[in-house]
Amino acid sequence: MARLYQVPSHARPWLTAAILAISLPQLLRGPLWQVLLLAVILLWRALMDRQRAPLPGRWIRLLLLLGTVGGIHLSFGRLIGPEAGTALITSLFALKYLELVGRRDAYVLIIIGYFVCATILLFQQGFFVFLYVCLCLLLLTASLVGIHYNDSQARARQHLGKAAVLLLQAAPLAVVLFVLVPRLPPLWNVHTDQGQARTGMSDTMAPGQVSNLAESSAIAFRVQFDGEIPPYRQRYWRGLTYSWFDGRTWSQARPDDWGDELTFYSGRGEPPLWYRDLLERAADRPYWGYQVIMAPSQRRWLYALNTPVPEFDGLVLARDRHLVATEPVTGNFRYRVRSYTGVPLTEPLAPDQRALMLSLPEQGFPRARELAGQWRRQYQHDSALVSAALSWFRNEPFHYTLSPPAVGPDVVDGFLFNTRRGFCEHYASSFVVLMRAAGIPARVVGGYQGGEANPMGRHLLIRQYDAHAWAEVWLPGRGWVEVDPTAAVAPERVELGLRGSLSQAGAARIPGDGIGRLPVLFQLRQWADLLEFRWQSWVLGYDLERQNQWLSRWLGAVTPWRLALLLLTLAALLVLATALIMFRGRGPRSATPLTREYRRLARGLSKRGVRGAERLSAAQLCERLERRWPAAEAAALAWRETFERMAYQQDSAPSIAALRTLRRQRRRLLRACR
Amino acid sequence: MLKRAWQHWLARRLPRDHQVQLNQRRIFILPSGYGVLYLVVALLLFLGGVNYENNLILALCFLMVSLFVMGILHTFRNLSGLTLRAGAARNGFVGGHGGLAVVLVSQGQPHRSVWLSWPGQDAQEVSLETGEEKTVWLNLALPRRGPVWSHRLRVESRYPLGLLRAWSLVELEHHCLAWPRPREEAASPWEGSGGTGGVGRHGSEAFQGLRAYVLGDSLRQVDWKGYARGRGMNTKLFDAEEGERLWLGYERLEGLPEEQRLALLCHWVLLLSEAGQPFGLRLPGVMLAPGGGDEHRLRALDLLALHGSEGGPR
Repeated sequence: MARLYQVPSHARPWLTAAILAISLPQLLRGPLWQVLLLAVILLWRALMDRQRAPLPGRWIRLLLLLGTVGGIHLSFGRLIGPEAGTALITSLFALKYLELVGRRDAYVLIIIGYFVCATILLFQQGFFVFLYVCLCLLLLTASLVGIHYNDSQARARQHLGKAAVLLLQAAPLAVVLFVLVPRLPPLWNVHTDQGQARTGMSDTMAPGQVSNLAESSAIAFRVQFDGEIPPYRQRYWRGLTYSWFDGRTWSQARPDDWGDELTFYSGRGEPPLWYRDLLERAADRPYWGYQVIMAPSQRRWLYALNTPVPEFDGLVLARDRHLVATEPVTGNFRYRVRSYTGVPLTEPLAPDQRALMLSLPEQGFPRARELAGQWRRQYQHDSALVSAALSWFRNEPFHYTLSPPAVGPDVVDGFLFNTRRGFCEHYASSFVVLMRAAGIPARVVGGYQGGEANPMGRHLLIRQYDAHAWAEVWLPGRGWVEVDPTAAVAPERVELGLRGSLSQAGAARIPGDGIGRLPVLFQLRQWADLLEFRWQSWVLGYDLERQNQWLSRWLGAVTPWRLALLLLTLAALLVLATALIMFRGRGPRSATPLTREYRRLARGLSKRGVRGAERLSAAQLCERLERRWPAAEAAALAWRETFERMAYQQDSAPSIAALRTLRRQRRRLLRACR
Repeated sequence: MLKRAWQHWLARRLPRDHQVQLNQRRIFILPSGYGVLYLVVALLLFLGGVNYENNLILALCFLMVSLFVMGILHTFRNLSGLTLRAGAARNGFVGGHGGLAVVLVSQGQPHRSVWLSWPGQDAQEVSLETGEEKTVWLNLALPRRGPVWSHRLRVESRYPLGLLRAWSLVELEHHCLAWPRPREEAASPWEGSGGTGGVGRHGSEAFQGLRAYVLGDSLRQVDWKGYARGRGMNTKLFDAEEGERLWLGYERLEGLPEEQRLALLCHWVLLLSEAGQPFGLRLPGVMLAPGGGDEHRLRALDLLALHGSEGGPR
């Protein structure tokens, strides 16, 4: 059946809207020429629909196609991979709209639309993004409805209504499927991390790096506590330690003869000595139990309060008590940790480790070395020296600022004795240099400090601007002790966080959104944040393990049979319920009460062997009944009188009382017929 | 073999009836080709979601599958409750086409984009709003003389999503008559006065008077002059005497095969009607009293068509 089929005009607004909505996320992300391409296509299409422009010929279409593919290659450097692939399919989707003639073209267009919807979710997974994708699905469904209703009476609004009804009815079933369909492990390896910017702390620390992070209000991670949230000044989220300084940049290092097996423990196999020691000393100590949901950072560093004992699942614990993921964090990564308070790292320093923690470049910062030597001569005990250094920072005119001036070639001396304006990394770095110069083993710790507590959800939100650097010094008998020189300079930074400290200091620049501090908006933001948090933990984090956990609460043991049975039962119930709602109000209900009464009698009689009563009049029916059951004559007469009186009394609807009488008489008649 | 069993099953399940209301016994529903493609896409998204460990892509896939499932209900409902009734018939000559009207009645809900077709024919699309009634004329090929029964009518709909097709095969109490194809022969079946020479013989008949025009009267006998003078549309009545009546008789064509006789009679019926000549028709077992006009001609043709199939048209 070759039918030339034009897509009806009332379906086209939805097709256009679907294309716009579905392409939008890619257009915001991708190169500018894609926006222009879509604009040209939509314009051309609009002209075509008004018979102002011809359908583009085969050569023009081929040229556009080649141009698009070439453009993608130019902009992305390749054609495959998530970013380039998404850009390509989005533009092809738009190009297809240009050659839309028949229903078959619309079919292809809509099918591609589903794929593009999926690619949106590849990059963003927030709650509102998913709502947006649902909106796209609604538009696609409305287009489907539109192209299948080829009638001049049809109105575009109807299609959207129908699609909305369908989608609303589909939603509960989709939820059931989402919860019950087993999560499978990945079938083959995919890498989405290529070409994506890495965020968060880096594995080296140079001046200006942390303050760059402070420009960003992006979410670093979220923490859900089992109980109370620790006070602000205790929220030091330790990430990684920097032990090697080259005069400008700090980087991670470990003694030469420490292999991986000595440095990391993955939870499998024989636990190393330091881990056994940690567990021993942690036993019976108070701890904070919490779960961290790490936002994608493309890095392996994980963050925890001191001293962490994690659940080993996709991460390892390093000997200096920081956590490392086994793979770079490309999606939302969750892990559980118990952090024991008051369990310092007391292990004795091995000679080569001690040497590393005291190492400084041969050259540079003479004044710092001189100051350290002076302290060394003055104070015998290391702890006294540390206190002296902190009070020096407190008493000298140091300023805490996000935009420190240029320091000069010698970053340590220049900062300590000239500019004296810096961010936490300047303080941590120069403090550690001073300690090492004085002969105290020390290192820089990178991580986050603080976090915004959400009173509604007992969780903390840590953003990039909470990034922080501090120091650890090794004191004899006490082990590694955390010292935050920034707290000495700007105590409010540790009490109130970056925003608090900056606004108190009257600084003009507060990173992130300035209006976020208005009370109403703040409240709203907290609600939105709670929503996102729940979304993260319930929906995005609903993996195989949680599914099993959750289902075993309902099913006992989760066997495939039980799961399948539950799935089918629930799905069938939902479909049945929907069908009942849809088909309600049809058939017998449209009849009058009197007709229904008559039908009930006919049904009762058909059980007694009198067929076809519905086709007889009341008089004929009674006659038949009297012939068959002479005893029922009186009952039949009474019923018939009432029925006929009501049937011919057309001026008013039958009263409830009359109907009740009729019902009584019907029952009496049916009883008599036996 | 299988086909026969299928037809047999269909005949029992969906018997021929004058009026049919589509219900769950009569509606079949299966995914359309596009529906299968749609499910394949959903499966691909599922694989993608599993592989990228992306719960939202999985959710999108489940939403698509649920839409499909709800589409089953909606597609079914779009057909269910639709009543089809056998309407009028337009008869035709053998080898040509007749027409059958199917009346669609909606009760209580709209039925959108319903396709009606006989096997091997292009479908006709019709949409009904609540309480609407629409008539669709379907062409029927007439291969042989006599009553030609309609095929099973395919009533199909893919509304709203096009992912599923719901259809029913309805057999309505419904037929066309195939008139014999007119054929000229040397033999003449007529008797009585008149005949070929009688073309335009009205003048010789006694003019009886006028009566109001009735639908079916021959337009040749309308008093056009009176009409032009504004006296309304009237039919001229002529009194033809009994002896002058023309009879076409089947029995007068001895020696010719049956179909040939009917074809010849048909030729004469048309010829005489064309000429406005009243005539009577005698067939074995039936007789059509002499008369004229379109109605008379159609009755004569129908009798010719039905010849030999009186024992119940089937």
